Amino acid sequence: MGLSSATTATEAIKLCIFDLRRGQQEGQELDKILFFFPAHLPFSTQLSVIGLSEGLITFTRIFSPEAACEVIEAERHSHVFYEAEPDIWMVMVVEKNETEAIWRIDALQKVLKEVHSLFLMFHGSIRALLEKEPAGGLIRSHLYPFIMDYLRDFLFGKKLLLPSFRDCLKERGTVQMLTVSREAAIEVQSLVKVLESCAGNTPCYSLILFQDLLVSTTLSPVDTINLFTYAVLRLTPRALSSGVSSWSYLRKGSTASHVTTGSMLAHSASVSEQVYGLQDTSPRGDNSYYVARPLQQDRWSKGKDGFLVTDIWGAEAGSSTSVTPTVWLQQTEERMYLCAYQYRSLTLILLVPVLSILNGEQGVSLLKQHVLENASLKMLKVEEKLSKGWGGENAYHVSGYRYLLVDGDRNVSRASPPGKVTTLTKESLLSLNKVREEVDLEKHQMESDNARFEKDMEVSIRAKNNAWVIARITKGKELYMVLEKADETLLYASDAVEKFSNRYCNGAFSLD
Amino acid sequence: MKERNTANTLKRILANCAVQVKDYGGCVAAKVPEVERDMCLKEFLALKSCMQKTYFPYLGEMSGKASSSQPSVGLSGSDAMSHVYIQYPPLRCDISGSRGLFYDDGNKLLLSPTSDQVFSWKTVPFSPLVAPTSDSISEGPILSIRYSLDTKFIAIQRSNCDVQFWHRETGETFSQRCGSESERILGFFWTDCPFCDIVFVTTSGLDMFAYNSESKSLNLVETRKLNVSWYVYTHESRLVLLASGMQSKTFNGFQLSSAGIIRLPRFDMAMAKSEANSKPVLAAEDVYIVTAYGRIYCLQVDRVAMLLHLYRFYRDAVVQQGSLPIYSSRIAVSVVDNVLLVHQVDAKVVILYDIFADSRAPISAPLPLLLRGFRRFSTSTSRSSREESESSEGNVVGNSEAVIYGDDWIFLVPDLVCDVANKFLWKFHLDLEAISASSSEMPSVLEFLQRRKLEANKAKQLCLAITRTVILERRPVAMVARAMDVLVTSYSHSIKSGSYFKGIRSEKVLPSSVPHVTSPYSGADVSATRVGALGKAVTLESAAGVDSDYVNRSSTFSALNSEEKASSEPPETNSSDLQFIDRKVDREKSMGAEISSAEVQPSSLQHHLLGQGNNPLNANVSEQQEAQLTSPAISPDEMYSFVFASVEEEMVGDPSYLVAIIVEFLLSANSEKVKVHSNIYVLTIQQLVRNERYAELGLFVINKIVEPSKEVALQLLESGRQNIQTRKLGLDMLRQLSLHQDYVLFLVQDGYYLEALRYARKCKVTSIRPSLFLEAAFASNDSQHLAAVLRFFSDFIPGFQNTSDHSTYYRILSEMNSSIAA
Repeated sequence: MGLSSATTATEAIKLCIFDLRRGQQEGQELDKILFFFPAHLPFSTQLSVIGLSEGLITFTRIFSPEAACEVIEAERHSHVFYEAEPDIWMVMVVEKNETEAIWRIDALQKVLKEVHSLFLMFHGSIRALLEKEPAGGLIRSHLYPFIMDYLRDFLFGKKLLLPSFRDCLKERGTVQMLTVSREAAIEVQSLVKVLESCAGNTPCYSLILFQDLLVSTTLSPVDTINLFTYAVLRLTPRALSSGVSSWSYLRKGSTASHVTTGSMLAHSASVSEQVYGLQDTSPRGDNSYYVARPLQQDRWSKGKDGFLVTDIWGAEAGSSTSVTPTVWLQQTEERMYLCAYQYRSLTLILLVPVLSILNGEQGVSLLKQHVLENASLKMLKVEEKLSKGWGGENAYHVSGYRYLLVDGDRNVSRASPPGKVTTLTKESLLSLNKVREEVDLEKHQMESDNARFEKDMEVSIRAKNNAWVIARITKGKELYMVLEKADETLLYASDAVEKFSNRYCNGAFSLD
Repeated sequence: MKERNTANTLKRILANCAVQVKDYGGCVAAKVPEVERDMCLKEFLALKSCMQKTYFPYLGEMSGKASSSQPSVGLSGSDAMSHVYIQYPPLRCDISGSRGLFYDDGNKLLLSPTSDQVFSWKTVPFSPLVAPTSDSISEGPILSIRYSLDTKFIAIQRSNCDVQFWHRETGETFSQRCGSESERILGFFWTDCPFCDIVFVTTSGLDMFAYNSESKSLNLVETRKLNVSWYVYTHESRLVLLASGMQSKTFNGFQLSSAGIIRLPRFDMAMAKSEANSKPVLAAEDVYIVTAYGRIYCLQVDRVAMLLHLYRFYRDAVVQQGSLPIYSSRIAVSVVDNVLLVHQVDAKVVILYDIFADSRAPISAPLPLLLRGFRRFSTSTSRSSREESESSEGNVVGNSEAVIYGDDWIFLVPDLVCDVANKFLWKFHLDLEAISASSSEMPSVLEFLQRRKLEANKAKQLCLAITRTVILERRPVAMVARAMDVLVTSYSHSIKSGSYFKGIRSEKVLPSSVPHVTSPYSGADVSATRVGALGKAVTLESAAGVDSDYVNRSSTFSALNSEEKASSEPPETNSSDLQFIDRKVDREKSMGAEISSAEVQPSSLQHHLLGQGNNPLNANVSEQQEAQLTSPAISPDEMYSFVFASVEEEMVGDPSYLVAIIVEFLLSANSEKVKVHSNIYVLTIQQLVRNERYAELGLFVINKIVEPSKEVALQLLESGRQNIQTRKLGLDMLRQLSLHQDYVLFLVQDGYYLEALRYARKCKVTSIRPSLFLEAAFASNDSQHLAAVLRFFSDFIPGFQNTSDHSTYYRILSEMNSSIAA
């Protein structure tokens, strides 16, 4: 499988994962390659990309042992580095020459981070898999389908569209929350408690989404982001009825792209499977590894009882029931069964420790039974309440403003709906992209300073077309804003921010 | 010895009642595992009566011996428990030369006329020590005797057509005869109707008279012509039911209240026929007027069907509302605190019904009546030690006196019984503890308790105890949630109807009228006040207590009316409810509305403090409160201090269960729009933090499940010592609450002194010492910042340059600068 090797457009992007601890001897260089995209490139090319990256890492480590290089800007390419695990590096190489291909490095890094986090959640750490099978076949057979499945979400027609300057009013690696009334919030909490009580005394966790927005979580922030990301990608009603476009930054695919991918799949076979010993079509064949592909598209569906089912994890021996997926929580370092239930726009994810359920699938179906018995009524009520208060896709649009609000402490973001962002001119977006890059730089500086105090920051720029591009950072909260056709005074701009802050952020940005 | 006796008895019972035992066992076995209360009631009663027959010989022996020293297990072996009791000692109404006992329910007086005097005992408040008052009357036959409602007159029915009147002060007398020779006076009653004072019920209808003080005689005001075979009247309901027809089952009803006369539509009572042609005649003693929850009901015994039919009276309709089974040929009905007691006199058991609920299922299994405080019978109850100590002081009484459900028992409206043979007057009491202990269905027990007004404090304490227990036992959340809902709904109702505040108000007035807070019995049990022969002070106290109780109760009735109106009426009828004390209701209602619109928080908080302060100090005070509380409703504050806070101390392990319960409580409170005090939120935060569930805590705060308040913010700041995000939530909350000074102070404390300065300037916070900012700036070891802070104060605080702060830090600043320069 994989993306077409024939398409030239995809060659603009290269993505590789390598292990610095491997292949350090002459002639064994291939050993360090754990993943390379596009896979059809000759090994020499692959090795030259990795060799360059490795050299740079080694060089920069001399000056900064803790955090080696993050990015290299070459004339025609940007190399984005991410050290996913100690000595395991992910490097993305993007071409610069296109007019549309103006990247924000931080956004690209977040892509790398996201795919790695998801990988961790489903398969555990790369290092652990390497240790399990030092030859590397195991990790390669896991990484390849996983990342290819992930990348497919970025595929538009024949092009991989990575987050560019047009996405500068979005923030990857954050959660979007639904604003709920107090009444609904109490109702939701009551449902959460009922859900948790279904598992008896074992501590379990839950995540509740309405449409593509988070309503409640009992997970740690890291795990919440991962599960939320996965849910929006594959589980929510919109994800299930694939083809419907979403306003979420996580999914922008359309039916058309899926069709193309399908056709591309047909002739994709050769190289990848030779290299990685991967068999795509029949996982249960004589293949040495059976690898679950959690990010495979269109493999989840809603079962009769309302629970979501998938055959990604295979079927239980001797029965037709599919195996319940499990995920690895970073916070508690526990393996959990993932049970997802859907009622209309409401998606509930219940995570129960694998160890607490003694008789496997039977125990899980018993648990599901419990959930249906105890929580159905409450789910109905909650769904009704949330639907009533739900303002639709444009609920968070504030007229006159194009904004992105990020709460770094809680990993929550909120932004103008994408449909509204597209009305901005390219110039405004480019300026904002630039501002954001500056802010990112400043933020990294602050982090590396290891300052005990969070610094406030304020940038307001007059851009083309009478636009104001504004960034504000206060106490871990970030606000980015574009005001087009705005008055020319700075006072106007700061008033606009003040108004927005008082109205929508509880005055968080109007401190002075 | 005792055990062997019991075993022998059991053996005998099993031998004699084999059939019944088998039936009952079979019935239960057939229904296992869905065992429900009363499901095999018929079989149980059969077995019980058989057992009693077998066991009675012992009982007979025992009661025969006047000074039997043999300890007894109770009335019968299986009856260790009971839900209704009468408290020893009774009111003794033994007067030599008495010509019988009469009950004047208009004035709640027990009357005992002798040849030339009439003795009267007040029965409300009920006290066994009340002394009779006497009035002299002339000699003659007495068919019936009643005091006028203002107690100025005594009316005595001398014959079928003659009623004699006494003016108690002047001693003047006059008589009133019935109109024609053909009619007979069946009885009479005084009324508070605006245009008449006394009503004669004759065989040809009602004659209403008004007293003319000038002519000192009665004027006939109005008559209602009807054929009457007999009648039933209770002053409580102001309702007179006139029976007519061949079977005496056709009824005309009139309500003569202060609002005037209401005529009820004529209706027939249902009577089953034993044979096709038989026409049973309904007797007066088979019809009871019952008042419960401000509603008026009529209960009719159908001896053939062995059913007790229940009718409810509306202004324009009489609706039958089901039937209750009866298990005895002799039935009596009492109402204690709105609970219907159906005495199965022959079976010597009583069945309790709460007719507020739609279900006609009894509250509990049929159980005997307990005589409390009497030595012989008290050993088996859980409260025995208390009663024994009480009764040990009492006089030794012959066992014959303590006959339960004797043939001479006459039941008086609403909750008294007169043992005519022994001249005892007993009052029925509900044993709320026993009732609540007998059911595991906690939400319905709570509902039942929340409807109790007479022993409101006891009901309240029981509710609190039950709630604590279900939480500590970690019962399923759904079940506890229902319990919470019951309590919160009840509280919200009581707020709306005003009864909650009424209780509190009288409570506040109380302390001045309680001289015995320091009585020597303070540490003793609560019922010590009712012990006889303990001294004058105690008598006084109990009298005062119950008196106010009575006052409260009368107001509660009307409160109930309005409350009931708020609650949904049975759907089969939408006619307006038949009520009494109408005018009062309206006043009460408007008052309630006023109160509920007022701010709830302060007074309930006050109450909370009051209650908390008093309870641990002195049992007597809380007992005094019992008499004063008119509603067992539990406010959110009490919920916090007596349930959540106390449970939290005892709970071990995962606190998320408690959080789940609190969420359910908030859910109920929110749906009833009851305000919750911040201490519950503070507790919630503590629980979540203890479990390190910071993500949830964030949701709780951001979605305002935890309502913002200063206490909450401070708790968040405190809990945020381990979690910076939580601390920020606290800071944000302070800012959003416009608690500028606290906000600035915490900012400085956290080292954000520049931000603090900016904010202080913006919000004009001037009360914080400059040195705090200066110290913080100095601590950050940044000379520029220190200079900025110094400059700020020099610019904005006049005269700052002359203070010691300025000179100190100016020197420090110049030192810092010089060291840098060097």
